[in-house]
Amino acid sequence: MPAKPAAPPGPLAGDNTRLYLIEDDPLIVQFVRDTLTLRPGWRLLGLSTSLAHACDHALAAPADVFLIDLGLPDGHGEVLVEQLAQHRPDAERLVFTVFGDESRLMGALEAGATGYVLKGCSALELITAIDQIRSGGAPISPLLARRLLQRFRAPAAVTDAADLVTVLGETDDVAALSPRELEVLQLLALGYVNKEIALRLQITPATVGSHIKNLYRKLAVHSRVQMVRSAQARGLL
Amino acid sequence: MSLPRRLWRPWSAVPVHGWAAALLIPLFILLAWFTGASVPPGAVEISQAQVRLLGTPVANDQTVSLPHVWDNTRRDWHDRAVYTLVLPASLGTEQLAVLLPRASTRFRVLLNGYELFNGYWRRGEGYVDTGSRSHVVALPAALLRTDPSANRLQIELQGESLRTSGLGPVWVGSRDSLQQRQSWLQIWQVNLTWMVAACAFMLGLLALLIWRHTAEVLFGLLAGGLLTLTVRLFLSAPLFIPGPFWVWDYLHKLSFTWYCGFIYLFMAELFLFGQRKVQRVVVWMMGLAPLWLLLVMAVGDYRLYRWWMGLIVLVCVYALVQVLGRVRWNTDTNQRLMAVVAFATLVTGVRDFLVVQLGLPGDADIRWMTPGSMVLMFTMGWVLMRRTTEAFDETRRLNAELARTVDEREHALHAALDRLRVAQTQQVLEAERRRLTRDMHDGLGSQLVQALQLVRRVDRPVDPAPIAIMLGHALDELRLTLDSLEPMAGDLPAVLGTLRQRIEPGLRAAGVVLDWQVQPVPKVAGLEAQGVMHLFRCLQEVFANVTKHAGASRVTLRTWVQDGRVGLSVCDNGVGLHANAAPSASGGRGLANIRLRARELGAELVLQDTQPGTCVTLFLQVQPLEPSGSQPRQPASAGGPV
Repeated sequence: MPAKPAAPPGPLAGDNTRLYLIEDDPLIVQFVRDTLTLRPGWRLLGLSTSLAHACDHALAAPADVFLIDLGLPDGHGEVLVEQLAQHRPDAERLVFTVFGDESRLMGALEAGATGYVLKGCSALELITAIDQIRSGGAPISPLLARRLLQRFRAPAAVTDAADLVTVLGETDDVAALSPRELEVLQLLALGYVNKEIALRLQITPATVGSHIKNLYRKLAVHSRVQMVRSAQARGLL
Repeated sequence: MSLPRRLWRPWSAVPVHGWAAALLIPLFILLAWFTGASVPPGAVEISQAQVRLLGTPVANDQTVSLPHVWDNTRRDWHDRAVYTLVLPASLGTEQLAVLLPRASTRFRVLLNGYELFNGYWRRGEGYVDTGSRSHVVALPAALLRTDPSANRLQIELQGESLRTSGLGPVWVGSRDSLQQRQSWLQIWQVNLTWMVAACAFMLGLLALLIWRHTAEVLFGLLAGGLLTLTVRLFLSAPLFIPGPFWVWDYLHKLSFTWYCGFIYLFMAELFLFGQRKVQRVVVWMMGLAPLWLLLVMAVGDYRLYRWWMGLIVLVCVYALVQVLGRVRWNTDTNQRLMAVVAFATLVTGVRDFLVVQLGLPGDADIRWMTPGSMVLMFTMGWVLMRRTTEAFDETRRLNAELARTVDEREHALHAALDRLRVAQTQQVLEAERRRLTRDMHDGLGSQLVQALQLVRRVDRPVDPAPIAIMLGHALDELRLTLDSLEPMAGDLPAVLGTLRQRIEPGLRAAGVVLDWQVQPVPKVAGLEAQGVMHLFRCLQEVFANVTKHAGASRVTLRTWVQDGRVGLSVCDNGVGLHANAAPSASGGRGLANIRLRARELGAELVLQDTQPGTCVTLFLQVQPLEPSGSQPRQPASAGGPV
């Protein structure tokens, strides 16, 4: 579940976010449509109920936020996430998940998702999630943070932040974590929420959110670098 | 089939001893041809000489036939003697020389009173035997008198006790012819001896190395035989070695005894004589030899040595008879080969004896035993090589068989392990299925049943608000169950962080502030799916108490490390334990539930009334350290609750 601010943010001045929904469940589609009525400035730019339709139409749609269901009738939503990450790197890619299944979520984040929303959330929670991602933040759970830590530690056995940064810096400049990002990640894995982390590190909650978003971005890059290396190791490249 | 194979096919049936015999017979013919009784052209053999023992005042001149061996005469013939020979008048005076094939152990040659040559005559103390090689001495024409019958050739000898001393045949004649003869003798007497010595040394070393690696007694015996033969041949070569003569001569004689002993034992082992008594006699002789020979040296009686040699020869002949009698002609090719070659070596020895000792036709200066012993030596090496190869083949075969057996056993073991793993997996799956069923039944099931009852109530219109709450709870319950299935690997903060997401909205709604004071801690034992669920339920109960009964405004969750255990506490600022436990039966049940879950977790539970408020603490066991040391570092601030 995304970490929520104490009070839901109000509409931003001149906020005219354009959304594109990829979802086959008519109830969820209706839920999104109903939610959008709470934000008159927001507009549902398009709707795809299958992966094939999305591949044909969504990639070219000038949307700011793509809401993607991972379980589409004709394929996995991760495929679409990856294509959107390539063709629309500027847009946000928010995936729908039922239970916060971290294994699947990690796959989506590695494919290039920039955030996630739990199905069954309230309209307010959905608006908050979209606002959060638009303002540079991203949701994260402690389990997900733990997984990220494990993933970034994987290249070498490291014992502290400095070592980790060194190792990652040496092996992979693009996907290396900064010491601050690592601190944020470690506190997230301990169960602290953005506001508490901001207090401890004496930064703003928005900065914590942007660190999290950066972590997702680096996870995707890291994942791609690992894939390239793996392919090189097997002589495929 | 290729041409070489086609040509070889008819011969492949010939046994190895047949090949050996086929090679040895032409060798003997060649030897007989090369070493027949030969007279150097333009030379004559002087067969008589007048000899006088020096160093004695008594006149003892006598005429003897050549060769004249001192060991056959009196004991005092080991000092000095002078042989006087008359040169045949028919030879003339130009380009003459004298050839001495065997003159030991030191000598010098004088012509008409002038010394022409000396072989270590004045060298001083040392071990040398000039009889081990032939010598040609030129007779200068200037020293020859015009009357041929007036020329006197004197050969003075220094003998040694217990050493074959004396003057062999003497040839006088054309210098060129005798030098040619001497070159021929050099090959047989010197070069061949060195060659055999070198081969014996190399083969002996090789056998020694193999014996050290394989510990097979045959190689040890062969190494012993060949290395003692090397010593024997070295001391038989024309060398001057400083030191007392008797010491080196003692070694010379001892090495021969040991050589014969080792070879006998080798043959006995190879042919499985089974004559333990004879073998004991041989070992006893080898052990006795140093003392016996020392005694012989001290007494200086050649007869004692001759008896000893007679005994050795008897043992050798006995061994040969055993070899010929025991050889398994039909089965063991090694034995057949050895029998043929040993017999051939015996022939060379007999030939030498007949020619040298009994004067049968043949070149007495050339011994057949030398090449014969070399052939015997190489044959022994060949047999051992074959045995080793066969042993290696057998070892390889056994290894392959062993590997195959191990492979089969390994496969069987893997199959059994796979079956066991499947059974264990099924057992674990069954246990998990039962747990999940129970959790679903108790949590999610009851929530859904309540929601269903609400919907089915026909007497009142359906109010969506409580149903939404109940379904929300059901969803939370389901998420909690699914969270417990996430692989946490004993990571307590991750478990607590996950639980926080589920309970914090409820706390917030109840107006309770959650103070999160979680520190990194080592991995906790027992936090697999079931353990996680126990911890979830336990903390759910604790927080339910806080919100429902404690009346608290703040609750602090803290982790730390203490005495090798991980502490986890939930402390509130509410009414306290006593006031809290009494009011309702559900409160009592809740506490019992907490105790039960803590026990299932293997944790120690401590309840404290902190006035104000209550503190529930769990002390959890730490996971055993992994070899790779993947424990998180202890934070500097880790300590007890503040």
